[in-house]
Amino acid sequence: MSDTLLDVQNLTMKFGGLIAIDDLTFSAKKDHITSIIGPNGAGKTTVFNCLTGFYRATAGSMYLNKDNNKMDLKKFSDFKVAQKAGVARTFQNIRLFPQMSVLENMMVAQHNKLMIASGFSILGLLNSRSFLQKEKEAVEISKYWLDIIGLTNRADDNAGDLPYGDQRKLEIVRAMCINPHLLCLDEPAAGLNAKESAELNKLLKFIKNDKKTGILLIEHDMSVVMGISDHVVVLNYGKKIFEGTAKETKNSPEVIEAYLGTEE
Amino acid sequence: MGKELIQKSLKDSLFTGIIALALFGPIVGLRTVAKNEVLIVEPKWLVVLLIVIFCAVGRFFINLYTFKKEQRRGEPSSLGKAISNFLDEKGAQIAIGAIVFSIIFPFMPFADRYWMDIAIMMMTYIMLGWGLNIVIGLAGLLDLGYVAFYAVGAYSYALFAIHFGWSFWICLPLAGLFAGMFGILLGFPVLRLRGDYLAIVTLAFGEMIRILLLNWYELTKGPDGLTGIPRPSFFGLPFKRYPDEGVETFHTFFGMEYDPMQRIIFLYYLILILALVTNAFTIKIRRLPVGRAWEALREDEIACKSLGVNPRNTKLTAFAVGAMFGGFAGSFFATRQAFISPESFTFIESAIIVAIVVLGGMGSQTGVVLSTIFLIGLIEVFRDFESYRMVAFGGAMVLIMIFRPRGILAKRKPTITMGKQG
Repeated sequence: MSDTLLDVQNLTMKFGGLIAIDDLTFSAKKDHITSIIGPNGAGKTTVFNCLTGFYRATAGSMYLNKDNNKMDLKKFSDFKVAQKAGVARTFQNIRLFPQMSVLENMMVAQHNKLMIASGFSILGLLNSRSFLQKEKEAVEISKYWLDIIGLTNRADDNAGDLPYGDQRKLEIVRAMCINPHLLCLDEPAAGLNAKESAELNKLLKFIKNDKKTGILLIEHDMSVVMGISDHVVVLNYGKKIFEGTAKETKNSPEVIEAYLGTEE
Repeated sequence: MGKELIQKSLKDSLFTGIIALALFGPIVGLRTVAKNEVLIVEPKWLVVLLIVIFCAVGRFFINLYTFKKEQRRGEPSSLGKAISNFLDEKGAQIAIGAIVFSIIFPFMPFADRYWMDIAIMMMTYIMLGWGLNIVIGLAGLLDLGYVAFYAVGAYSYALFAIHFGWSFWICLPLAGLFAGMFGILLGFPVLRLRGDYLAIVTLAFGEMIRILLLNWYELTKGPDGLTGIPRPSFFGLPFKRYPDEGVETFHTFFGMEYDPMQRIIFLYYLILILALVTNAFTIKIRRLPVGRAWEALREDEIACKSLGVNPRNTKLTAFAVGAMFGGFAGSFFATRQAFISPESFTFIESAIIVAIVVLGGMGSQTGVVLSTIFLIGLIEVFRDFESYRMVAFGGAMVLIMIFRPRGILAKRKPTITMGKQG
């Protein structure tokens, strides 16, 4: 049990009469990439929204194993999930700060730590040395991540001016700036070409192996899912219909049925 | 392209002429005049014709040079681009030049009482614009009730000074504090609102404060206003021709002749310092984490939440800080006028300040100065033409919207750059 990072039990989410997630139970391991797949409208993003505090789940429990501390994610509301529990996420439709520079995007992600360093702005207004030092460190962290995705030379450009693929990658490394334990990625490969997808795979493997951050992934691009997932959860109409390794999933008749329908 | 462009522009200007005729025909063309105790309609078709021609021809040239020329609408025109590039390149020099100019301004030969009064008024608007720029320009919260904080600052200054006799330098921070508290008070209920809804609630808040001031007679003397607000003194030296027995005044201390301009010049420098402090503070705080969070919140609140940024606290600080500077400006207003009444804090004041910020270019400090000079300056230049003042004001807005659709200075500078860090 100790290598379980995320433990979701009987998660249910209802919108009025509509049951978006129906009694979903699954877990994600540390140092694993766990993919959630399923046809459109299966409730994948709703799972993310429950996990990251954007929705309040109707029933069920979600626990995060943060350095062997069991944290109840249901206790945290919206921004506190990222701040206190260390669950970061990206969005299906990219949500950068388009009019701000790439570096500023990375700095906003380190807001909470910098806010304390700036003495809630008082030390910052006084130009305190300790704050300037912390700010420099934050820039270094940003530079480290931008080097990895090869965007350092565009650090001072507006994030909205980047090509689409770079925006996707920037959103992921921006989320990494909060030092998450769990990184939730909502269709990171959507709209990427084959080369960019391959780069994405590399980045995600790096985050998993070198940063020891668990990844929860929603994805339609099967080359990404099959290439990097350690574990796959398949949803359909809010219910889990299959769980297993990528290979098992590929050959599962239930999954094929959900995607392609049955042969009459 | 040329022929097609002219054709299109002609067609459009013809259409504009028809609209102008439909509008101005009844409004300007038909005037009722009382003659021999009978009301008769006196047509003024020549004036209408002139207006229609003016509109059509003007539209034709605007079409030719801006609207239709660049295929994409809303793109800044070439003239605007040139202005903006010039201001970008020479920004620092212009800013220093402007500060030097404003310091030596009172000693210019032409700086008589009238010009000093205008300068003080413009400075007040610039300071209010800078304060509101934090809320609208940085945090992206459209606040249409900013004048409420101006009023709270003015009234709290006046009440403290009248009832407790405290000096300007004690009352000023207190007034700022009170206004800041009102900022938080307004901030709480509107945390979840954005855009139009936020604008409506803030507008209502501004009216509520005004109506409260109008009706709480015991405290505010209602429509009678508060009189006898103490004038500020120069480090304890009052500006008075005939001081009380044994009190040293500014002119006797410095061995000068008494001149009422001394007080005006002192007030001018006072508001100049207050405005510059506001500016310096805003420039600095924009580069701090909280300032970046304000801008991030303006860009995307949901992304902010996903990164653990507390939207509630961030918004409240923006409201509080913006309101605080409004309060400072309010206390200056109170001490300058020595009389305040709810009349001075109507919605039109809020609207003018918002116009200054938006037309200056959201978030741009220099833009606020330029649009204040442009808008308030025009109103003053047209003072002798009475009812045409507001036409000039509106015209100035239209001009800015045509040439600089995103404000005079729309370009934003990053708060931190990689280059600087090496």
